[in-house]
Amino acid sequence: MSAPAPRSPLPAPRFKIFRWRAIGPLLVLLVIAGVLWWIFADTIARRETQKVGTQMLGAKVEIQDLHLDLKNGDVTIRGLTIASPHEAFKNLLQADEIVADLDVVPLTEKKLIIDRIVANGLRFGTPRQTDGRVAAKSGQGIAGRVLAETREWANQFQIPVLQLATGKISIDSLDPRRLSTIPAAEALGARADSSRRAWQAAFDTLHLGPALDSASATLERLKRARATDLATLNEARQAIDRLRRARDRVTALERGVKQGVAGLQAGLAGLDSARRRDYAFARSLLKLPSLDAPEIGSALFAPGAIKPFERVLYWTQLARRYMPPGLLPRATTGPSRARRAGEDVRFPKERALPRFLLRSAELSFFLKDTQRYAGRLTGLASDPALYGRPMLAHATGPQLTAGAMLNHLRGVPVDTAGATVGGIRLPAFQLPGLPLRLDPGAATAQLGFNLDGDTIHARFVVRSSNVSWARDSGFANSTIGDLIWRTVSGISNLDVEARLSGELHHPQFAVRSNLDQAIASRLRAVLGEELAAAERQVRERVDALVNDKVGPVRARVNEVQTQAQAQVAQQRARLDELQKALEQRLRDMTRLRLP
Amino acid sequence: MFVLIKLIQSLFGALHSEGTPGQLAAGIALGSILGLTPLVNPHNVVVFALLVLLNVSFAGGLLGWALFVPIGFLLDPLFDWIGHGLLLAPSLRGMWTSLYNTPIVPLTNFNNTVVLGSLVFALLAFVPLFLAARYGVARYRATVGERVRQSRFYRALTASKVYNVYRMFRP
Repeated sequence: MSAPAPRSPLPAPRFKIFRWRAIGPLLVLLVIAGVLWWIFADTIARRETQKVGTQMLGAKVEIQDLHLDLKNGDVTIRGLTIASPHEAFKNLLQADEIVADLDVVPLTEKKLIIDRIVANGLRFGTPRQTDGRVAAKSGQGIAGRVLAETREWANQFQIPVLQLATGKISIDSLDPRRLSTIPAAEALGARADSSRRAWQAAFDTLHLGPALDSASATLERLKRARATDLATLNEARQAIDRLRRARDRVTALERGVKQGVAGLQAGLAGLDSARRRDYAFARSLLKLPSLDAPEIGSALFAPGAIKPFERVLYWTQLARRYMPPGLLPRATTGPSRARRAGEDVRFPKERALPRFLLRSAELSFFLKDTQRYAGRLTGLASDPALYGRPMLAHATGPQLTAGAMLNHLRGVPVDTAGATVGGIRLPAFQLPGLPLRLDPGAATAQLGFNLDGDTIHARFVVRSSNVSWARDSGFANSTIGDLIWRTVSGISNLDVEARLSGELHHPQFAVRSNLDQAIASRLRAVLGEELAAAERQVRERVDALVNDKVGPVRARVNEVQTQAQAQVAQQRARLDELQKALEQRLRDMTRLRLP
Repeated sequence: MFVLIKLIQSLFGALHSEGTPGQLAAGIALGSILGLTPLVNPHNVVVFALLVLLNVSFAGGLLGWALFVPIGFLLDPLFDWIGHGLLLAPSLRGMWTSLYNTPIVPLTNFNNTVVLGSLVFALLAFVPLFLAARYGVARYRATVGERVRQSRFYRALTASKVYNVYRMFRP
C-alpha cells in the first residue's frame, strides 16, 4: 500500500491590475460623449458665450443662434443682444449676424484668436422687455466692482438743486446727534457740577469755623479785659494772625474760584461757537447752491452731463482690468459654478499668443433707422504687450465721426475716445428742480475723452437749434415756475458744455449752458428772500434742539459761579469784620498803632 | 430619495463585495478626488477612467465621491488659499508660465485657484485616505460585517434592481 501522493498546492490567484472588460464600456461612453458634443456643441458654445459675456460685461448677453464650424474655423452668431449695464430696459447693442474667423490651433492652449469678425446690422440703444443689468444688481465680479466704483465716482458730482418749482426749500432731517452744541453743553454741565463739588470741598478744608469762633470768643474776652491783661492781648494778636492766615487761604480759594468761573464762562462762550457751527452744519444740509450762472449750469445739467463720462469711464476701466499692461500674472474671477469660483490666473509669456485676440473687426451698423454706417476695430487683446499694438477703433458715416484708442502697451495706460454725432434725437429730460422738460430735438453731440494713467480730460457738448420746452402741469400755480417758464420758453437753441479735468479720483467738473445767465438772474431776483427764510428756519430748528440742553446748563453754570463767589465773599467779609473789630479793640486798649 | 438609496446600496454593496479591503480603499481614495475637486474638469475624466479601468472597487469610488463632495464644498476656501499661494508663488512662476503656454495643459484649468488647490489637496490626501480606508474596511469585515450581511435590511437592500446594476461593476 503506497502512501497517497501529496496534493500539489493550489496556485495563488493572480491579482489583476486592469479590468480589461471595462475598456469596451469606457469606449462606448467616450463615443457617446463625443456624439453628444457633436449634437450639442452649438448649444454648449452658445450658453458658455452667453455666460462668459454676461459675466465680463456686467449685462445680459443673449444669443439666438450660434453655429460652430471648427473644420473651417468659423463661428456664426445670429441675433446677438447685449443689454446695457447702466439702463434697465435698454440694450447696449443688437446684431443681426456676426461671423468670426477663428484660428483653431490656439484653442488647444485655451486661447481665443479671432482673425476677423464681420458684424452686420448692429443697432445701439434699442429698447428691451426685461431688465438686463447684472453687475448693477449683483455688484459682483469685475464688472460689478467697476460699476460700483464708477457710480461712486459719478456721485461726487451730484450738484444739489433747489426745489424751485414750489418755492420751498426742503431741509433734510436734522439729526441731533450730529450737532456739536449738545455734547458741549452736556460736558459743560458736568464741568460745572464737578467745579461745584471741588469748590465745596476746598471751602470745607479751609476750616474757617474754628478760626471765626475762636476770634469771636477772643473779641468778647477782649471787650471785658483791662489794658494790663497781657495774656488776653497776646491771645487777641494770635487770633488776628489766625484770621489773616485764614483770609490768605480764602484769597487763594477765591483765586481758584475766579479761574474756574473764567473757565466756565469760556465754556459758555464755547457753546455759542458750537451753536454757530451747528447753524453752518444745518445750513449745509440745505445744500443751497449759489445763484451764480456757472453753478446754475451745473445744477441743471450736471446730473445728465456726467452720465456719458460715467459710461465711458466704466468701459475704459473694464478694458484696463481685462487688458492690463505688462506681462505679470493676472488673477481674474473664475467661472461661476456651484463650487467656489476661485480665481483664474493668467501667465502671459513673451512671444506667445495672448489669451484673447481680435485682430480685426468690420462693423456695419445703423444709427438713424435706415442710415448705414461702417466701423472698424483692430487689436483687441487681453495682453496688449504681447500683441504689441494698441487697440484702435473708428467709425464713419453721415454726420458721424468716432474713434478710440486703448494704448495699454506701457506701464501707464492711455485711453482716448472721441465722437461727433449730428442729427441724432437725444431723449427729452426733466431739468432737475425745475418744472420743465427739455426736448433737445435733433442735436449734435460731441464727446472727447482722454484718460492718461489717472489723469482725465474729457468734454461733452450738446448743441441744438430747435429745442422745445414742456411745462410740468403739477406746478401750474408756482410763481417761480412761472418766472422760469417765461425765461426759458422763448429760447429755441441749446448749447451745453461739460468739462472734466484733473486727477481721476477728484477732478474738476464744470458745466455751462446758454441758459445759465438767464435763469441765474431770474433766480437771484426771486430767491433771495426765500434763501433768507430758509436760513432762518434752519436756525430755529437748531435752536429748538439745542435750547433744551443749553438753557439748564447755562443756568447751572451761573448758579454755581454765583454760589461759589457769594460763599467766598461772605466768609471773607466775616473774617475782615472780625479782624477789624479785634484790631480796633486792641488799638483802643493799647492806644498804639499795630504794625 | 433614489440617490440616497443608491448611496446606501453602494456603501453596503462595497463593504460586502468580494473585493479586498485594498481594492475598496483604492476606490474610495480615487472617488475622493472626484468629490474634493470641481467635477467638470478634465482631470476627473482621467480619475473616472482609472476607476473603470483599474481593478478597484467602483462602488468604493462612488462612495468616496459621495462622501467627499460636501467636504469639498466646505474646504473650498482652503483650496482657494492653497491654489492662490501656489499659482502666485514667484519661485513657481516659470513653471506655470510654461504650462500655461503649452497646448492641452491649460484645458485642465490648472490655473484656477480652487481647481489646483483642491487637486493638490486630494493628491496629498490620497495615500493617507487609502491606508485609513483599508484599515477601516478590514476592521468592519472582521467585526460587524457578518452580522450586517445576515440582517433583513441588507437582504432587502441587495434584492433591489439597482444592486444588480452595481454588480456589473463590482471587482
